[in-house]
Amino acid sequence: MSVPLGHIRRCLEGAVPAVIATAAADGTPNVVYLSQVHYVDESHVALSYQFFNTTRRNILANPRATVQVVDPVTAAHYRLQLEFLRTETEGPLFENMKAKLAGIASHTGMSKVFRLLGSDVYRVLDIECVLGDASCETTAQPHLLPGLRACLACLTTCSDLAHLFDATLEGLDRHCQIHHAMLLMHDKAHERLYTVATRGYPQSGVGSEIRIGEGIIGVAARELTPIRIGFAAREYLYSRAMREGFEKGTDGGALETEIPFPGLADSGSQLAVPILLGPRLLAVLYVESPQELRFTYEDEDALVVLAGQLALAMELLTHAAEHHEDAAAATPPSAAQGTPVTVRHFAADHSVFIDNDYLIKGVAGAVIWKLLRDHLETGRIDFTNRELRLDPALKLPDITDNLEARLILLQRRLAERCAFLAIEKTGRGRFRLNVGRPLQLSDMQDR
Amino acid sequence: MTQSIADTFVLDEAQAAFVQRRVAINVASNSAERLPSLARAIGCRVSEDRRTVTIFLSVPRSATLLRDLRAGGGIAAVFTRPTTHETIQLKGAAATIVPLEESDRAAMQACAASFLEEIFQLGYKDPFATAMIAAVGDDSIGVAFQPTTAFLQTPGPSAGTKLGTNP
Repeated sequence: MSVPLGHIRRCLEGAVPAVIATAAADGTPNVVYLSQVHYVDESHVALSYQFFNTTRRNILANPRATVQVVDPVTAAHYRLQLEFLRTETEGPLFENMKAKLAGIASHTGMSKVFRLLGSDVYRVLDIECVLGDASCETTAQPHLLPGLRACLACLTTCSDLAHLFDATLEGLDRHCQIHHAMLLMHDKAHERLYTVATRGYPQSGVGSEIRIGEGIIGVAARELTPIRIGFAAREYLYSRAMREGFEKGTDGGALETEIPFPGLADSGSQLAVPILLGPRLLAVLYVESPQELRFTYEDEDALVVLAGQLALAMELLTHAAEHHEDAAAATPPSAAQGTPVTVRHFAADHSVFIDNDYLIKGVAGAVIWKLLRDHLETGRIDFTNRELRLDPALKLPDITDNLEARLILLQRRLAERCAFLAIEKTGRGRFRLNVGRPLQLSDMQDR
Repeated sequence: MTQSIADTFVLDEAQAAFVQRRVAINVASNSAERLPSLARAIGCRVSEDRRTVTIFLSVPRSATLLRDLRAGGGIAAVFTRPTTHETIQLKGAAATIVPLEESDRAAMQACAASFLEEIFQLGYKDPFATAMIAAVGDDSIGVAFQPTTAFLQTPGPSAGTKLGTNP
């Protein structure tokens, strides 16, 4: 009896090399190793097409192949009878396999050799367990559903976006044993993602940015598909040098490079899952581990479910912050004391420095500058999301941009970098600027 | 099936040594309908004149492959050393199914043991590693063939290069 493909997904993780047999039209057999057998769905796999070799010639002439895969725990062998259907050279499946291949290549010292030309999609006609008896049954896999359930339960009690972000990462840590994770918001107008919450890193890295299409997070965002690799690849790691290379980009401002990306330097496994509301990309959830092959197909399934719930919760809480305001709280007298501090703002990129220390730039930089100016001119400390949204001078990206998430970013940067300036939520759609020292504002035209 | 000597690929001494130790071996054939068959082998023996290779296959794990070879299907075998990725593929027009000789079981065990050392070096652990060579205790049989062509399959720009005959 044929084994369901879903039962042997861990054989497709790449821990043990697979072998493919094909036959030429004249019946000459060919047998070679394969870099990747990728699970597409219950009745399809995709194989990596890297070279125009005999295997390639054979399947174009005679579309049947037999592939042998090995269970990485039990060493049970399975033979898949396959029929070649088509080759994909772009899109989610291709990008997924390309990222994974880069990891395999890097792991095996083949970075200069392996390049994905295409994803060959095959129909699975039959799966045979080589011994054909119960000894081939895979051993029990860890159950992920209880952890996922506990994680989802944490989300339901969150009343604002900041808590939602933190509860998600805490839930992954406590209930799913995923200890290094981050959330990056989508900035559609500037074609990038900015880090808004992280857990498990020495430096939070909140405010760091990644270009769409760059690294596994950027590719997951561009292709709207999860990208998971079991052997981290050098070309997908976020080195400072690589990110600085994008500073010269022409599409809407330099990338934030002052704030280092917090990822693990010795990352072994990585998984990036887009957080989608219908077709709209809201954010990316990224998790990683120093351990190789840490994340399985089941982990990917679990995080996709989590991302779906997260998208709905984010939308709900964002809508609440934008369209409803709690009544203003009583304003305590402002008590700025001590030596005055100079805050500089550079109009070109809205970068803001407190004394000589860099704080933030871009949208969040423009926002803090407006708040500080208003505060100095009128003494105000209470503000609403709505007025920021409506302020023409701020030139906020369109309404789909998450203003609440920008404020969370700003709030967190201030908390990390500045002891005497803080943003405090005072209710739905409402916040307060706490100023602890006298300020001098200096607007610079050039940097 | 008879073959003239000219069609034979003669392994050189290094190749003969390579295929008999520390390697994973996988063997393929196909049916008259060109449906490929495939099985993992444990060990092989190379004849003194290095013109014939006899690969040891588990009978219960290789049923379809053995059926195709008995029916006269061609044979291809790939040998790879896990720690170096060094790989060659041998092809023959046909294979003869032969019983194991007296010394073959010991050869299988030696090949399995050396393969095990290789994968331990790569970090694979027991019980997985030993399970990889479980077939060493199976009811086994030999498939003997005279290679007609050989290819270098080590990943890299030269993968797929036809190896010259060694007169």
